[in-house]
Amino acid sequence: MKNKPKIAIFDFTDCEGCEVALVSLREKLVEIATETEIVNWRLAQKKADDGPYDIVLIEGTPITQTEIDTLKFLRGQTKILVGLGSCATLAGIPGIIDKEARSGWYEKIYGKDYKPRGIDALPLSAYVLVDYSIHGCPVDKSELLRVIQELLAGKTPKNPGYSVCFECKLAGNPCRLLDKKPCLGPITAGGCGAICIKGGSPCYGCFGIRQDAQVDNLVMTLRKFSDPAKIENYFSMFLKKTPEYKKLFDNKKERNGKP
Amino acid sequence: MESHSFIAKIEGHGNLHLDWDKNKVWLEVDEGERLFEAMVVGRPAKDLPWITSRICGVCPIAHNLAALKALEGAFGVKLSGSSLLLRRLLLAAQILQSHTLHLYFLALPDYLGIDSGINLAKTHPEHFKNALKLKQVSDLLAESVGGRGIHPTATAIGGFKKVPSKNQLIGLKKEVERLLEPAEKTAKLFSSLKYPEVKTDLVFLAQTSSIDYDVYDVKHISSSRGALGKISDYKKLITEEIRAYSTAKFGKYSGKIVTVGALSRLNLSGNLLSGKAKELYKSAGVDFQNPYHNNLAQSVEIYAFIQKVIELLNQLTKEGIDEEKTIVFSEDIKPSRKVRGIGALEAPRGGLYYEIGIDAEGLITDCNIITPTVQNLPSMEESAKAVISQQKNVGKDSVEELLEMLIRAYDPCITCSVH
Repeated sequence: MKNKPKIAIFDFTDCEGCEVALVSLREKLVEIATETEIVNWRLAQKKADDGPYDIVLIEGTPITQTEIDTLKFLRGQTKILVGLGSCATLAGIPGIIDKEARSGWYEKIYGKDYKPRGIDALPLSAYVLVDYSIHGCPVDKSELLRVIQELLAGKTPKNPGYSVCFECKLAGNPCRLLDKKPCLGPITAGGCGAICIKGGSPCYGCFGIRQDAQVDNLVMTLRKFSDPAKIENYFSMFLKKTPEYKKLFDNKKERNGKP
Repeated sequence: MESHSFIAKIEGHGNLHLDWDKNKVWLEVDEGERLFEAMVVGRPAKDLPWITSRICGVCPIAHNLAALKALEGAFGVKLSGSSLLLRRLLLAAQILQSHTLHLYFLALPDYLGIDSGINLAKTHPEHFKNALKLKQVSDLLAESVGGRGIHPTATAIGGFKKVPSKNQLIGLKKEVERLLEPAEKTAKLFSSLKYPEVKTDLVFLAQTSSIDYDVYDVKHISSSRGALGKISDYKKLITEEIRAYSTAKFGKYSGKIVTVGALSRLNLSGNLLSGKAKELYKSAGVDFQNPYHNNLAQSVEIYAFIQKVIELLNQLTKEGIDEEKTIVFSEDIKPSRKVRGIGALEAPRGGLYYEIGIDAEGLITDCNIITPTVQNLPSMEESAKAVISQQKNVGKDSVEELLEMLIRAYDPCITCSVH
């Protein structure tokens, strides 16, 4: 009998919501666990085998030195390394804090004598080669399933080439931009089913900026009805540690408020 | 347990250390600091519930709603009747999601002698079927009211951005009614488990409404030993200290170690349960001196909150949702002067507190969050000491196992505790 692929799931600093999404696959998760061997998953089991692994899924931001070291070690232990969720793929919400702002806030929140663990919130790709990114805050359940199934079938999964707008139209939502409400849908990779817009919220880009996105054109459109602070507010939700954000906004003042 | 392996099957990264000779125990929390209280400063008020739901993927709705309550307090916004019912429904769904995940996926395997909750599918298919049903419908409830099962999209200051239709509510009611049976079986299953024996002297703390077993519309802070506290005095009453071995603070109430969560709610408000939930509570034989019984308390709460959800759905379908008053778009809300607000509610793991300052431009000036697990950390250490001294004869390995089960029974949310 062919050996089952060995999967390991690790989490760094984050909310663990993407692992909860994995559990929410319910019957499908049982199928995955039957087709494979989940040899390491702290949230779900004590069994914690050392590598080598076939597939490693990593959720969260490597924010402490231990996490950075673990990440680099895991890269050498696995054939395929997959980022699970926006914290891992973009730095996401933890990335809102700039490295330079951290020390002042540590002192304010924890006092002078505290020895902080966190260094900087950056995506996995700041330290290692990532084979595939499952974006989303949290990840979309069907997208998660698609990627895992494709990986198990030996395929190289691809990000959907279309934007959130494509799925938003399919969902029949009224366009926020036409209503003069900011939205990052046009430049954001699809795969989420436009779930935020369906619920009445904007797209803040948690699936990452799609290939060949016309970021400058969207910014020009947004400027017609939003002030610069508002535009930056939208881009700084999940995309603060991306090159696009840096290009658009990084020549400006202190952005994390003062303690 | 002196290694760097973290306790499995709990939310987040924690490790319990013990010094056998000195009878000392310390719970090391090693989760990286994300600094949520800093990241929201300078951002518009609308960002608070959106960002802080990301504190925790197991109880995001609790954070989202506590943030909204704090903002609504600051802006003096009153909710419409339908909005309040929908908020209560959403928080009940959150408790069902979280308790189901914890009981079946993290806690139960210990008692059945298996490692992973996924294995239940093979070893105990009947339990697994009940778990999946509870999980499926509680996720569906959260999605239907909050817009998404994890990290809500439809909630807003003053109400909702989108509400479920009447047909959707009727459909949900049918689904939820089908949960009564698996929920009863869950309560009976957890009543039948053999819990490790330990006697502690826990002091319970919970936010209570004193009218019914409510978790959203809470009025004060109740303690099993002492007078009622005002929620507005939360900062004076709950103090946090920094410990060198932990990135989470350790919380105390009036300087005392307290316990929060399902066991505390049942201790302080159990007499307000009604119908079948009350019967199940009475027959469960909850021992309030045994912290392992928090699992049992959670299983009773699953039934109680399903009952509550049915009541809420009945009321919503009967009265109908007044969409005009419920649906709000308040992205750019500006108070025109400095304002402050406090938002508190009972999250799945206990009392959650938010305090927020907003300037005249509608930007956040400061934020303070106290989570349930922060309040529970000292109690976990105390109970661990009790386990060690009362179970000395069973051998080191067994004690270590009992301690892991103990920490798991508290259902700690480590990422919440650090935030």
